[in-house]
Amino acid sequence: MTIWWLAVILVGVVSFGLGFIWLAVKLGGLSRYQKGGLNQVLDAADNDVEHIFDDEFREELRNRGRLHFEKIIGENAMFLQQDLRLTTSQLNEYMKQELTSKLREEFGKYEESITDAKQMAIDSIEKTKETIEEERQQLRQQLQVELQTEESRLIKRFEDNMADIVNHYVLAAIGQQIDLSDQLEYIISELEANKQAIAEDIKYGT
Amino acid sequence: MALDKFSLPNRIVSQGDVARVKRELHSLNDYLDQAQLRKTGSAMERLPKTSRGLDDFVTDNTLNLVNEQDRYAAISFFDELADKAPVVHVSFAVDPSANFIIKITGWFRENIDRLVLVNIGLEPTIAAGCTVRTDNHLYDFSLRSHFDKQRQLLISKIKGEPTKAP
Repeated sequence: MTIWWLAVILVGVVSFGLGFIWLAVKLGGLSRYQKGGLNQVLDAADNDVEHIFDDEFREELRNRGRLHFEKIIGENAMFLQQDLRLTTSQLNEYMKQELTSKLREEFGKYEESITDAKQMAIDSIEKTKETIEEERQQLRQQLQVELQTEESRLIKRFEDNMADIVNHYVLAAIGQQIDLSDQLEYIISELEANKQAIAEDIKYGT
Repeated sequence: MALDKFSLPNRIVSQGDVARVKRELHSLNDYLDQAQLRKTGSAMERLPKTSRGLDDFVTDNTLNLVNEQDRYAAISFFDELADKAPVVHVSFAVDPSANFIIKITGWFRENIDRLVLVNIGLEPTIAAGCTVRTDNHLYDFSLRSHFDKQRQLLISKIKGEPTKAP
């Protein structure tokens, strides 16, 4: 039920009450109007009426009218109360539905916003993670290259130095132990191998 | 040309030996000149000592140094030898013995030049073998040089790489 239905019901109830009041006033005014024109008749009749509609009878009629009026008022009040209760319950239901739908909608939006924010945060974290991973990979590759270079350099230096050390050690260790007379054959063979070059060098000074 | 007249004994090895023999020859010459001028009855100085190199030279070339002509020929030979003889420098790790030097000198004179002078040097860092240096070249027959040439073999051995069969 919408607010329009509630308004129509309220307007109906108010119109009904106003109509009732207007009818009561109208009936009262008519009776006064008729009194003026028919005074004589009435005066004449009054005497008889006074006999018929005496105070007790009038009081009886008044009581009856009062009771009838009270009855109508009570019934209308009951109807009004029922309508009000119905309207209130419908209004409550409507408000509940509206509030629920609004809350659901707002909660949906809120949840959507949270989901979006969460997704953005996840995306940001993923990007950061990817960037860190790329940086780590680059750093790792660079480190590996530098390590390999350093390793190669150290190995080369070690090999070179080790060769020098071994040479030096061997020369120092055996150099003094080899008798020159034992070397004579080797020296002569080396000289023989280079005899031509030495002879030409001495002869021509080339 | 005086250099063609005589042979040079292997005991006279280096320029230093030649200078010493020259000095001995001049000393002997002075002595003999003094002896000729000596008055009869005056005291004679002692005959200057001569080295084995000069002795060998005289023996090998059958000279008589009392003979003035032979003496001047020998002086002339050594003067010319000091100026014109080819020289090689041979270095060893340790000081070689006299016999060893004579053998090396003999090889040079038999195979290179009969009047070549050999200056002997000491170079402990070569460990073994020798280096021969002429005026223009250096021939390195040392163990150090041999090791340097085999350096890659040593490095490959240190690395544990398989080596090619020679």
